[in-house]
This record gives sequence, C-alpha cells and structure tokens, in this order.
Amino acid sequence: MQTRELKRLLDVLKDTDVSEMTLETGEYKLTVKRGSVATVAHVPAVQYAVPAAAAPAATEAAAPQQAPQAATPAARERLVDVVAPIVGTFYAAPSPDAPPFVRVGERVKPGTVLCIIEAMKLMNEIEAETAGVIKEVLVDNGQPVEYGQVLFRIEPD
Amino acid sequence: MFRKILIANRGEIALRVVRAARELGVQSVVVYSQADENSLPVLLADEAVCIGPPPAANSYLNVRNILAAALVTGAEAIHPGYGFLAENAEFAAKCEEHNLVFIGPRPDNIARIGDKSSARALAQEAGVPVTPGSSALKSLDEAKAFAERIGFPLILKASAGGGGRGMRVVQSHADLERQFFNAQEEARAAFGNPELYVEKYIEEPKHIEVQVFGDGKGEVVQLFERDCSIQRRYQKLLEEGPSLLEDDLRTRIAEAAVKLAKHISYRGAGTCEFLVDKDGNFYFSEMNTRIQVEHPVTEMITGTDLVQEQIKVAAGEPLSWRQEDLVVSGHAIEVRINAEDPEHDFRPTAGTITDVHWPGGPGVRVDSHVYAGYRIPPNYDSLLAKIIAWAPTREEAIRRMERSLRETVIEGVKTTIPFHLRVLDNAFFRRGQVYTNFIARRMSS
Repeated sequence: MQTRELKRLLDVLKDTDVSEMTLETGEYKLTVKRGSVATVAHVPAVQYAVPAAAAPAATEAAAPQQAPQAATPAARERLVDVVAPIVGTFYAAPSPDAPPFVRVGERVKPGTVLCIIEAMKLMNEIEAETAGVIKEVLVDNGQPVEYGQVLFRIEPD
Repeated sequence: MFRKILIANRGEIALRVVRAARELGVQSVVVYSQADENSLPVLLADEAVCIGPPPAANSYLNVRNILAAALVTGAEAIHPGYGFLAENAEFAAKCEEHNLVFIGPRPDNIARIGDKSSARALAQEAGVPVTPGSSALKSLDEAKAFAERIGFPLILKASAGGGGRGMRVVQSHADLERQFFNAQEEARAAFGNPELYVEKYIEEPKHIEVQVFGDGKGEVVQLFERDCSIQRRYQKLLEEGPSLLEDDLRTRIAEAAVKLAKHISYRGAGTCEFLVDKDGNFYFSEMNTRIQVEHPVTEMITGTDLVQEQIKVAAGEPLSWRQEDLVVSGHAIEVRINAEDPEHDFRPTAGTITDVHWPGGPGVRVDSHVYAGYRIPPNYDSLLAKIIAWAPTREEAIRRMERSLRETVIEGVKTTIPFHLRVLDNAFFRRGQVYTNFIARRMSS
C-alpha cells in the first residue's frame, strides 16, 4: 500500500464513526484503531514538516504514525524501541527505487539494517540490536529525526 | 536577513537569542540535550531538535549532530551563544564548509586572537600595551634573568593553562626558585605540558573590558567599557558600566581596543579585556570572540541590542551605528543569580525551583530561563538568571538593584542573592574601591 493510499483511507475514516477496522489482502493485514491510540514515548517538542524535495520518492514507505498495528498499552510494554542515535534524515530504503529495508511484520535479528539516517551527507545504517518482529514503524521516509526519537518498535522473541 | 537560524546553546543565552530573532522576524531552531527537554528556550523556540544525551560532550559539543540539525531544518546560520562551541575556530570553519553562516567572527579571527600568545603578539603589533612577559621559559635561569629585568612581583603561568591552575605569584628570587618547579609539576599534571612563562604581576588591578563590534571589512566601533572586577576564582559575579575610571583613561583604553580589533578586521561582537593598575597603566590581557554573559550592561547604557546586531552583521548588513552615534546614558549593574550556596563556598545547589517571582518596575531587566517547577540539570553551569538594574547614576542603580533583589523570590534552591546584597551594601563597593581581589579581601567574614 502506498503512503498516499493509506492517508486517503485514514482521511475517509476520520469522517465516519468507525473506531476500528481490519483490512486483509494477499500482501498484508492492516488494523486501524481510532480515538485512543497511545501516544509515542518520545515526541519531538515541535514536529517539523517533511521537506518534500529531500525525500527520495517514497516507495513502499514506512507506515505513518497513525496506522500502527495498534498494540495495546500492555502489549506495547514488551516492545523494544529502536531510537535514532544521531540527528539526520530518515530513509526507509537504500535508494529511491528500492524496497524498504524492513516492513511491519518482518522478522529481524541483531545486525539487520533497519534504515539509513543521513547526516552531513554521510549515510549511516541503523541496525537492529534485538531479534524479533517489527511491530511499528514510526517515521516517514525522508523525515528529519532527532536524537533519541523512536523509529521502530520490535517485539522481541 | 536570514529566514531561520539555529541556536547551539542552552539556558538564558539560548532564550536571549530566540527573543532577538523573533523581534527581527527570524525563525529560531533550538538544539537541546535530553536534560533540557522542558527548558524555556526549547518551549519558546519555533522549532527544537534533540541532539544528544545530557553530557555536553555528547550534545552541546556534538558538532555533527548540531550541523545535521541545522541542515535538516533548513537553518541558514548558527548562533553559538557563549561557552560550548562559541570560540571554537574549527566549528566556525565547519559551518562555512556546509554553507551555514557562523554568527560570530571568521574562523581565522577566532584562531588568531583566541590563542593567548598569538593574541599578545597581535596586540603588540597593533601598539596595544600588554603586561611585560617572557616567552616560553626553558629553564629556571631564564626566569631569573627575566626577574632581574622586570622586578617582582611576578606571576608564573602555564603556557597551556587556564582557570588559575599552574599559576604562582612570586615575590622574590628565593620564592621563584621554590615555585618554579611546583608550577611546572602542576602544569604537567593539569595540562600534560609543563611549559611555563612569566609575567609582571599587577597588584590589585581592576578588570576593565571594552565591548567592540566590527563589520569584518575593517570598520570597528566600541560600545564603552564594563568593570568586572568582582570575581571569585576568575568567575565574574557582578558587572557594571561605565567604569569609575577618569574619562581620559577610559578613552585611551577604548581606543586601544578598537586598534586591536581593526588590526585583525574583526567581525561581530567581541570584548577586549584589560587589567588597569592603580597608577592608571593598562595592559591588554585577552579578547573574547563572542557575546558575553554581561552584554546587557552595555545594552542598557547604550540603548542597543547587541544580539540583534550580531545577527544583522552576520547576514551581511552594515553596522547600525557610527562611533559618534554611541553615547553612554546612565549606569547599569548586572548580578548573576547562580544556584550556589554563598554560605558554603559557593557550592552548587541542584534541585527543583518550586517558586519564582522576578522583580519589576522601572529600569529593571531579567534574563532568565527559569520558571516555577523547573528542575536544574546537574550537567551544566549554575547560572539561573541575570538581573540588570539601570538608573541615571551609579548610586541610584545600586539602590534599584538592592530593591530588585529584595523583591526576587526563588524557592527550592540556594542562590547568590544574599551575597550580592552584601556586596551592594559594602562601603568599599559603594565608593568604587573595587579590585579583582575584592571578594577575598573585603567579603571574607
């Protein structure tokens, strides 16, 4: 699913009183819960706009924040946060045309590359330190990230 | 003018720059460590970017993250405040490499005048008096030969030094022999470099500093002097301006500062520090290539905004004032309110500020990042606020400052307010008999 399709879906849902829906296709299963999604652990004090030009054309971009496979707060406690170790620009894929390094639901192990953070024209690969399953991707492709910002949540094995 | 600037600092000076930028219609991005997430500059800036964990080495000194934050937010310039990276020529050069304007002097200005021995050489080239001193000493005999020429008292200093370490005042040849090797060892232990030099020791000097401003193209104006003689272990606690020196001497010191700044085609705000002895001799000691903590004293007596001027000059605008536009009006005093316990050797007192009330009324200014509920992080300096009182005369400014400090309420931590009230009440201070040994000599109870 493309980011813009997802966004359209969420926009449509906004105008309804649907509080939960599940969509299942051959490729993925998406659950959306509205209204009481727990806030992320670390929200940047000011969310700055994504500089559109800087983003390599979002391929199968990371799911935006509103659409996690909404973990319940209890389930979330078990999740391991992957945070940005440096300030820079988040890239979900190695190049504009390539598929993302990881998608929600994928299994990772220590050393699996999760994303790239570009800082000062240097591409820094961010690797998983935990074996488990990606439960949430919290950042959009091309978005600036700050130190300590949560990028992914992994359900450890 | 810039559309957006990044502020690479914290605390009251970060807030000061946010305010200056906002009045100029410039957006501000504040970078912060995790310890400062709830600080006032972070809350009041247009944008904020976390750049690291609490230790300054990993956040406020993390050049890569600061530059990345500037680039991802689209900031065009970086204001370094004071401390941290403000006088780091390498950082200033890195900014330029990434097409970011460093709001301060050019990197070569910082490198040449920031280094103590090169600054002395530049001052001498410009015809500005420096304390008679030796070059690096190779042996005790060289130190003795220097003492024969200049006479005692002398002060031994570490070439790599700072902060008073490796320094020894010597009164006689016997003293010199004894102290030379001690100072060498202290320098080796503190800086990994035992090299010493020796200077004439100025007894009971006044610390007088001249605010200068250059456009980087050879034009330099001076915004008069501040007297910062009230210091504790080289840390200033109370500053005032103008000084009580005679007008002729004030003019000569100011002219010397302008000569030095012009000599290096200085850009931006800077301060030339001088020691002035009882006979009216003055000696250049160092130049600070940044905005200073005590800049509001100058702003209050000249009606200028030095931080806005820094931003304007960095954006390529000409200086706002010609020398003849600048005049001193009245007298201003600034006190530094630190979270320190003056009853216990100024021990830092960390904690949470449970309640704050600032003074008000005519002629009073408060620069502070503190609010009720603010937790003082243990990682940085203890400055909580600067209170500045302006009045037409020094006597009135002193009374206004006393009144302001008595109005001030800071609950939850000990502060330097009781100490400042004692200084303001001191008869020597009131008469202006203030030298750099004031606290040791007049305030030890």
